[in-house]
Amino acid sequence: MTIAETPRFVRADGPDKVTGSGRYTADMQLAGMLAAKFKFAEVAHARIVRLDISAARQIPGVLAVLTDDDVPDVRYSAGLADRTLFARDVVRYEGEVVAAVAATTKEAAQAAVDAIVVEYEPLPIVDDLEAATADGAVLVHPEWESYSASPGIPRDGNVASHSSVVRGDVVRGLSEADIVVTSRYVADGSHAAPIEPRAVVAQWEGDKVTIWSSTQVPFAARDGVCHTLGLPTNRVRVIVPHMGGGFGGKCGFHYEAHVAALARAARRPVKLVFTRREEFIAPDRRRESMIVDLTTGVKSDGTIVARRGHALLDNGAYTADSSFFPQLAVMHLAGPYVIPNVEIGAELVYTNHQPSGSVRAPTAPQATWARESHTDEVAAALGMDPVEFRLLNAVETGTVGPSGQTYDEIGLTDCIRKAVAASETAGPLADNEAVGVAVGWWPSIPAPSGAYVKIDGDGAGQIVTGAQECGTGSVMTLRQLAADELGMDPEEFQIVHQDTAVAPYDTGATGSQTLFNNGRAVIAAAGQIAEQLRELAADRLEASSADIVLSDGAAHVAGSPDRNVSIAKLARTASYCELLIGHGSGPPPSAPEISGATCAGDAGMAAWVAPQFSCHAARIRIDRDTGVVRVIRVDAVHDSGTIINPTGALGQVEGGVVMGIGQAISEGTVYGTDGRQRNPALLEYKLQTAADAPEIHTQFVEIFTPDAGPRGAKGIAEAPNVPTAAAIANAVTKLIGRPVSHLPMTPERVWEATR
Amino acid sequence: MKELRIATTLEEALALIAEGYQPVAGGTDLVVAARGGNSELPDHVVAIDRLAELSEINSSTGGLQIGATVSHARLMSDESVVDGFTALADAAALVGSPATRNVGTIGGNVMNASPAMDTGSPLVVLDAEIVLRSARGERLVPVSDFWTGPGQTASEPDELCTAVAIPNLPSDSGSAYVRLEYRRAMEIAVVGAGAVVSLDPDGDGRVVGASLALTAVAPTVIAVHGIADALIGRLIDESALADVAALAGDQASPISDLRASNDYRRHTVGVMARRAVEAASRRATGESILVPVNRSIGIGAVT
Ligand SMILES: Cc1cc2nc3c(=O)[nH]c(=O)nc-3n(C[C@H](O)[C@H](O)[C@H](O)COP(=O)(O)OP(=O)(O)OC[C@H]3O[C@@H](n4cnc5c(N)ncnc54)[C@H](O)[C@@H]3O)c2cc1C
Repeated sequence: MTIAETPRFVRADGPDKVTGSGRYTADMQLAGMLAAKFKFAEVAHARIVRLDISAARQIPGVLAVLTDDDVPDVRYSAGLADRTLFARDVVRYEGEVVAAVAATTKEAAQAAVDAIVVEYEPLPIVDDLEAATADGAVLVHPEWESYSASPGIPRDGNVASHSSVVRGDVVRGLSEADIVVTSRYVADGSHAAPIEPRAVVAQWEGDKVTIWSSTQVPFAARDGVCHTLGLPTNRVRVIVPHMGGGFGGKCGFHYEAHVAALARAARRPVKLVFTRREEFIAPDRRRESMIVDLTTGVKSDGTIVARRGHALLDNGAYTADSSFFPQLAVMHLAGPYVIPNVEIGAELVYTNHQPSGSVRAPTAPQATWARESHTDEVAAALGMDPVEFRLLNAVETGTVGPSGQTYDEIGLTDCIRKAVAASETAGPLADNEAVGVAVGWWPSIPAPSGAYVKIDGDGAGQIVTGAQECGTGSVMTLRQLAADELGMDPEEFQIVHQDTAVAPYDTGATGSQTLFNNGRAVIAAAGQIAEQLRELAADRLEASSADIVLSDGAAHVAGSPDRNVSIAKLARTASYCELLIGHGSGPPPSAPEISGATCAGDAGMAAWVAPQFSCHAARIRIDRDTGVVRVIRVDAVHDSGTIINPTGALGQVEGGVVMGIGQAISEGTVYGTDGRQRNPALLEYKLQTAADAPEIHTQFVEIFTPDAGPRGAKGIAEAPNVPTAAAIANAVTKLIGRPVSHLPMTPERVWEATR
Repeated sequence: MKELRIATTLEEALALIAEGYQPVAGGTDLVVAARGGNSELPDHVVAIDRLAELSEINSSTGGLQIGATVSHARLMSDESVVDGFTALADAAALVGSPATRNVGTIGGNVMNASPAMDTGSPLVVLDAEIVLRSARGERLVPVSDFWTGPGQTASEPDELCTAVAIPNLPSDSGSAYVRLEYRRAMEIAVVGAGAVVSLDPDGDGRVVGASLALTAVAPTVIAVHGIADALIGRLIDESALADVAALAGDQASPISDLRASNDYRRHTVGVMARRAVEAASRRATGESILVPVNRSIGIGAVT
């Protein structure tokens, strides 16, 4: 089926959300529920010399005040256990939780927080990535040798993890080049900024706790609670009500354990709802700032012979899920180009900033912006059209990429041609307009995942899945897969999801993985029921089960549509004997082999399963007098394999493009010399608005991809966020004659570059 | 305990204000500031949004009287405002978002007295007067004397702003307000400029009168001195506009903050000033430039 023929499938949770009948975590009310408030460090780096909660305990209505003394002595975080629930001796960023309060009202909780006395001895602030990696730098974690960590993490200096790819001989490659171009780019950090600030509710019944949380990853949240509070997984249940967006900011384990611990201490249910400011400063999920150096050597015919690159990434004070970021950054600095000689490294550096973590396509928008700006600089040095230069060097089916992976059938060059052709249909450029072009890539992430499907006696279907819906609609698309497998209508299925006690495991709404992995599980589960239905129908229709076809709500004998029985009838029969229940998981696709690269700090991200490719062409208009840039139109072309739900996929691309525009021109965290954020508010942290959104024209290069997701699909949620900022940057450079080497390219920075 | 009273008559509102109640119209400054933690909600608040006499726009031979609770949404589309006092419509059309414009009022904008307020420069160049009422009576204060500092006005605590009075412009005049925008909604003025230009009806487009005011480059909205002297008798050409930009840049005393450096503000306020003067002079010739100017010419133009 082509995209035009695929039935339009509209998500099921839309009406709830737009009419206001949908319930979010913050809407929950339980009998006797208390309000939680946190005491945050509010300083970037200091030793705690005194912490006194006695006055806070005396405030009327206060039922619990907790600090590090009140929870098990456990360090946590994937890859590198450098965190504790509450600050211990030293605070390392302004949003670190020092204490937590539960009280009968928000006001009482706030009064108690204000009554907590903390005296600090200031410590020097580590906030400069280069200084932090120099000899003799102040250490953010001086005693981190005692933390547990995955092998390969050296726990030395301020480098939390590092990675490199080395192939061929870069020194020789550069010496044989006709032209060598060197660039430096600096990107500020940014935020996921979901519209819903996070909320957590916890309620104990006996020795079991139920936690409602606005998390993208309920199983990871559950595991974090189990680890930090010392509980088995079957005594912690995490349920996610409707979510108001995440964009990666709500991945990981955050405050579920704090609230559960408060509820246990207070013997009452407790609710935590963050303010917008707290949402900005506290969670360990923001997009890392980055300093990128790139040197590329080319032959005068335009072929790339060598690239040397290096990136410093701001890890912030603690490691969230960021240990693998250096390897992703390395892949983005290399890019989807054939480069025989590469030597690229990246280091994730501890600072006293808010911790970084997976925000939609971690490392990619910034690193791609740097690499693709550099690519246009190289093309300019060659006197070559930048699109031609990309087509000449882009990876293709059967070529070997920079990390040594040989690509199966891929559509990158198709993406480039189609994006450029589409942007040319928009008519001639005015003298204050230009089109910039950039390419991107992104892996699909294989992971274990499970689902159950059942059909009850009335023929109604239910999918019970561990998958989590964060607003992308991908969980809703599971209905389409189950329905197709069973010859039923998607509307006949309801979904029970985002409840860890009810459904089997899934990684969650992260890594563009929901449909990619859980789709496989749902198809497998529905397949078991299909098998049952065929057996039942074969009996009824006196045919071989191998000849039974399920379609249009009925089972019929192949070639004889008249010999049929409705699935509802079969379901009723089954309800008296063997019930229609399927369970599925299926083996995840395996990673391809790579050759010829040596990888230090290998996080398994050099070989990409079902890699996604994209090209964006951004048409912009500039106000030369003020440096204001407006994006007029973006032509986005994606190879994400087979597109299963076109409506949903278009939504992902459009959202990704708008988020990319924000990162390009307006979104960036500004830090003060005190190591604290200066713009933790929506007025000063400038997201793009609906009024700013350009025309977005999307096309998919659909290639059935073997060893990928269901029906040859790859991921789609993060890829659209990868090349937009880069495309805009290349258009800006065309208009002002030089790159704006600092992201976001704010009007003032563009104006400075024109002076 | 907080108390909110909803006034049903002007007298009741004035009596409550005399007792120390603070008026609230749309609440988009008062309530939003309190929720954002910038300033606490006052203990005693009186809502004035239901007073019909404050929500009228009345034309008279001498000019226009705009009630204090007229919303930005109405200002930007009211025919008498758009035709005669276009700069004010330009400004109202840029305020926040549709939601902000539907509830935010001109009285609230004026009384909140932010240096970044968008109706400020238009009111200055249009020579408006603020109509203040208290149980003691009514008085009019020229806007040039009204804003005394950030968040500070010449009104007394017991006074309510009931209206803004604007005299008619001479014939062959036009006005405009232009603001620097980083994005097209939910913006706050980084810098802005309002202008009135009057042309000689018998001449060949020579200026007979001009005024210019600047937004967000000083503790209050400021009038640019010497603009009339600089322009009277001249055509609005490139050299005149360059002089306008220079005058504006010279008289601005901008700060550096998160939104912009003072250098950038000083430069861009000149750009806004020349655009405002240019748009006002084109309107003075009878050319129709749709409201707001930001969406009609230059980078913000809707295509
Ligand atoms: C999202 C958002 C975007 C915004 N964007 C802009 C913008 O682009 N440009 C801009 O200029 N402003 C903007 N504002 C600020 C605000 O909307 C305007 O200043 C609006 O005009 C205020 O009117 P109001 O009726 O809501 O005032 P209120 O909040 O009701 O009152 C503001 C102050 O004035 C006093 N007051 C109100 N009416 C009277 C009266 N009649 N007499 C005496 N005192 C009175 C109140 O006591 C209070 O101190 C924005 C606000 C928000 C929330």
